[in-house]
Amino acid sequence: MPHSTQLDSGRIATCTPESEAGVLVVRRHHLLVRCTHWLSVPILLGLILSGLSIYWASPVYKHKPDPLTGNFDPLADVGIWICAHVPGLHQYNSPPDWVYNHLSLGPGMLAVALRLHWLCAYLFMLNGLVFVIGLAMGGGWRSLLPRRTDLREALKMFCYYAGLPLAKLTRRTWLHPRFNTKYNALQRLAYFSVPVAGILSVFTGWAIHKPMQLYWLTAIFGGYDKARIWHFWLMWFFILFVVPHVILVLADGWDTLRSMIVGWSTRAERSEDFWQ
Amino acid sequence: MNLEDEHSAPKADNTSSTESVSPPKAASFFEERPPQVMEVAPQLLRYWTRRDLLLFGMGAIAAVAGGGSLLPQTTLERLGIIHGNKNWTKKEWLLNRALHIDDDVAEALYSRNRLVPTYTKSQITSLKNNYNGATPDPSYIPEWRLKLDGLASGLSVSLNIRNLLASFRVHEQITRLVCVEGWSAIAWWSGLRFDDLLHAYPPVSQAKWARIESSVNLGSWGNPDPYFVSLDLATARHPQTLLATHLNGKPLTVEHGAPVRLLVPVKLGLKNIKAITRITYTKDEPADYWAKRGYSRYDGI
Repeated sequence: MPHSTQLDSGRIATCTPESEAGVLVVRRHHLLVRCTHWLSVPILLGLILSGLSIYWASPVYKHKPDPLTGNFDPLADVGIWICAHVPGLHQYNSPPDWVYNHLSLGPGMLAVALRLHWLCAYLFMLNGLVFVIGLAMGGGWRSLLPRRTDLREALKMFCYYAGLPLAKLTRRTWLHPRFNTKYNALQRLAYFSVPVAGILSVFTGWAIHKPMQLYWLTAIFGGYDKARIWHFWLMWFFILFVVPHVILVLADGWDTLRSMIVGWSTRAERSEDFWQ
Repeated sequence: MNLEDEHSAPKADNTSSTESVSPPKAASFFEERPPQVMEVAPQLLRYWTRRDLLLFGMGAIAAVAGGGSLLPQTTLERLGIIHGNKNWTKKEWLLNRALHIDDDVAEALYSRNRLVPTYTKSQITSLKNNYNGATPDPSYIPEWRLKLDGLASGLSVSLNIRNLLASFRVHEQITRLVCVEGWSAIAWWSGLRFDDLLHAYPPVSQAKWARIESSVNLGSWGNPDPYFVSLDLATARHPQTLLATHLNGKPLTVEHGAPVRLLVPVKLGLKNIKAITRITYTKDEPADYWAKRGYSRYDGI
């Protein structure tokens, strides 16, 4: 411990008069975990935006070309549907490009998209490495490891969340399942699978980026075309994770969101059950 | 900034932590540890919160500004964020830097001894004609010659298709061609090894590159648009780098680059130039058609 530690604890002592009670806080996230957590937001956004532009150049999923338009891309169909059914979009000049214009850098941007994708991909790998170092240094990795009872407990949590809106509406008491670990089983399952998906994204990415020099890696994912499908769905995993993640954090309150910025939480009472 | 030390401070100082309950049994290495509870003065807590939120806010603004400015001009214009040309020169530099790093990685991964996977005839797929512009008129074929420049002899060599097929051994391979767009195709190719041509007509001793061009290439509106690629000689010497003359057992059609095209499976499809008319060996890296248009120069896969 450096000397500043002594100084700080001294400061805590001096500015805590007998009358003012101290607040119990519990350490939640290591500094490196917090930084990489937030850095992953722009990096993932960059990867998805550029990734969909790359996808546009040769979509993985195709159907028989439409006899009228020659279109074969389901994502273009989604754009056409949106422009036909959403009020105010009837005049949109290129309905097949709607999805690519709004969820990617845009169609016909392959060269730019590739450069941005490589930049973000290298940052993603670097960021992931620092995240893992942060988990190791703070010991946070232990809270992410799956337990034997997790599947049953996760199901309980899922039922709790699923029933919560109705319970609130009907003003019924709806008890939060008890748990005495840092995360509940559903959180643990989600937070454990994110780094796994990150690693898989990196490996499938290399598998389709270097299918000749790293042909063995491409073969692990079932060949070049299947590796592209893996890579595509791993993107959807991140999107499908982020949506409930953000909703639940906001629903859980300021303390949870703040803990990912400052590193500590004032919800120390949860931890009192820890050894019971 | 040393947040961690501050936060862990009370932990080190036992007097300020709550009664630490010792675990009933020794925790295994993988077992979750009890949380570190500490007592902190509300004032100090408010100070930490304010400071960290400020730092975080500044970081977020920097990330949004920095990340946002990396987006392409057209995307930002479409989003209505900028109007007119406001390209930031540093942005190009940073994105090109990433591209160069990626090219260096590709070059480090390349090995002349590593063969690409080969397939059986039943795995052959259809191969689309991805000529960027129009497919050239076949009238060039009877007059076709392959010119070699930058040779050690100092001479310029001109070969016709009969010279090529008669003086070199024909090799066959069923390999995958991968396009930068993401599609790929498995095809059965035959032709001479580039390496054999390099042995028969050695380039100048300092040469590290080949500039390979096709003067018959056409642009989008059918206008002449010579195509040219740069190829490092290390890749040209790979045993599976062919000057292909046949596709699926038949002489190349105009769509696939009759009479001779480059087949270099360790590179993206765009390096696999069709209807080669000239090869020039150079000491310095020559220009490349697609690198000029923002794509990678090395294209190793």
